[in-house]
Amino acid sequence: MVYTPYDFNESVRHRTEYIEERLRDGSPVAGISYDGGVLLLTLRRTQRKIFEVYDRLMFAGLGNQSDLEIIRVGAIDFAHQEGYARSPDDVTIQRVVGFAISPGIKRAFGDVLNAPFVVRALFAEMGRKPEEDLFYTLNYDGEFVSLSWAAAVAGTPEAEEQMMRQLVPEDAEGAADLHTALRRALRAWAIGRLWATDMHLQEEGAESLTEERIETFLREQLQDLQVEAAILDRFTKRERKFRLLKEDEIRPILPE
Amino acid sequence: MGEQLSANHSGDFMALLRAHGLWREPEVIPAERVVPAVQEVHGTTVIALKYRDGVLNVGDRRATSANAIMYDRAEKILPLDDYTLIAIAGSYARAMEIVRYLQHSFKYYARTQLQEMSLEGKLAEVSRALAGNLSMALQGIGLFIPVVSAYDLERGEGRIFFYDGMGARFESVEFGAAGSGSERIRGVFDYILKTKGPFHEMTLEDALRESLLLLDIAADLDSATAGIEKVLPVARAVTSEGIMDIPEEMLSDIRASLRR
Repeated sequence: MVYTPYDFNESVRHRTEYIEERLRDGSPVAGISYDGGVLLLTLRRTQRKIFEVYDRLMFAGLGNQSDLEIIRVGAIDFAHQEGYARSPDDVTIQRVVGFAISPGIKRAFGDVLNAPFVVRALFAEMGRKPEEDLFYTLNYDGEFVSLSWAAAVAGTPEAEEQMMRQLVPEDAEGAADLHTALRRALRAWAIGRLWATDMHLQEEGAESLTEERIETFLREQLQDLQVEAAILDRFTKRERKFRLLKEDEIRPILPE
Repeated sequence: MGEQLSANHSGDFMALLRAHGLWREPEVIPAERVVPAVQEVHGTTVIALKYRDGVLNVGDRRATSANAIMYDRAEKILPLDDYTLIAIAGSYARAMEIVRYLQHSFKYYARTQLQEMSLEGKLAEVSRALAGNLSMALQGIGLFIPVVSAYDLERGEGRIFFYDGMGARFESVEFGAAGSGSERIRGVFDYILKTKGPFHEMTLEDALRESLLLLDIAADLDSATAGIEKVLPVARAVTSEGIMDIPEEMLSDIRASLRR
């Protein structure tokens, strides 16, 4: 059989459909810079989802667990080799995502004889000030985008757009505090999940997303899921800046 | 990317470095080729004392090479992680390299395995790093002796461990010290214990006062130890709350009270 450019396009389309179908139902991840650090938030069943990569780097994603695990370990390996061989200052988000991780994902996606990664991943890097924080979102085809202030990964690109509106409101001035950042992130999560999974909502448009609808949806989701939130702490004196937030730190933002 | 995974399930940082050719094994040079002219920079006196809340580490800041004073701002008390301090004496170059290795090794394990390395595991890792250093030490360079202080969260107490150059580990009940000055003041530790009671019952301030006095005596008896006069020593403590840098004001107040 002769393999033509047409076949290549066709196979990429099939792969894309296959992956996006599997990602649609995934639990979104919201990332946001706040005055005291960087926050990632998602909802999960039992498995942990937000991970420390290096001193000022963390990571979370949605999709296939073992694919995420390969990315996680790949990023940690690269970061620690570099941090030891050069210096911790040389371990940056753009090197980790751009050079260490994304080429491998792109290769897997283009290699029709192998399984592609079924993931959307979000990396966050803490700077000295909120405006120096960086987020990278990484797609299953190896494409990545860098963002400041906030970032989101969700089941569909449209859902991510809706989340971003929540994370960075137009009237927002400067960096929020942790409490505000948590509230925005949780709301954004709910909107991202709803938007990717509720067909009616996409037809009705964003106006139909009332406060009440979001609250009810969150309450439903929290029956089987729990909030996982982690921060990189800008002002801690500890060696480890990364910390999972405790239950009593999360409880104040949950619906009554 | 898949291969990287399979090579390193255990969170072993040395295995990762070896797999990528980043671990430099000290080379054994045949005896006839050993050039004795290499003058290493050495760190001198470091002291670890238990006190009420954990372990206090104090080190002078002098680094010497043969008779020359190379540096008077050397840091010899370093955090390995949030509950472990290392105090180093001997070859400064090798010590810093191994401290960097250990810091990454503990972090790497915790991040890949999603659990902290146990205290026992950390202590064994220090031994392994020292044993790996042996071929250099036998050639007369690169030897260094660490004192490791840790807060044992399970037992709820501070603990002090000292090592020999081959990696043998010993746990100390009240205090530990290393470096050229430490040998000369060994009897003073016992004198303090017998006249003022155990270190582990002292307040931070009392333990600091004793440790500065010990450093001062060491400096009087050992030319390689800077003592406390010209530059304040580095002092850090490890407690259940993590690592605490002792503020300079506190050190200079105590130094002033010692002068009388």
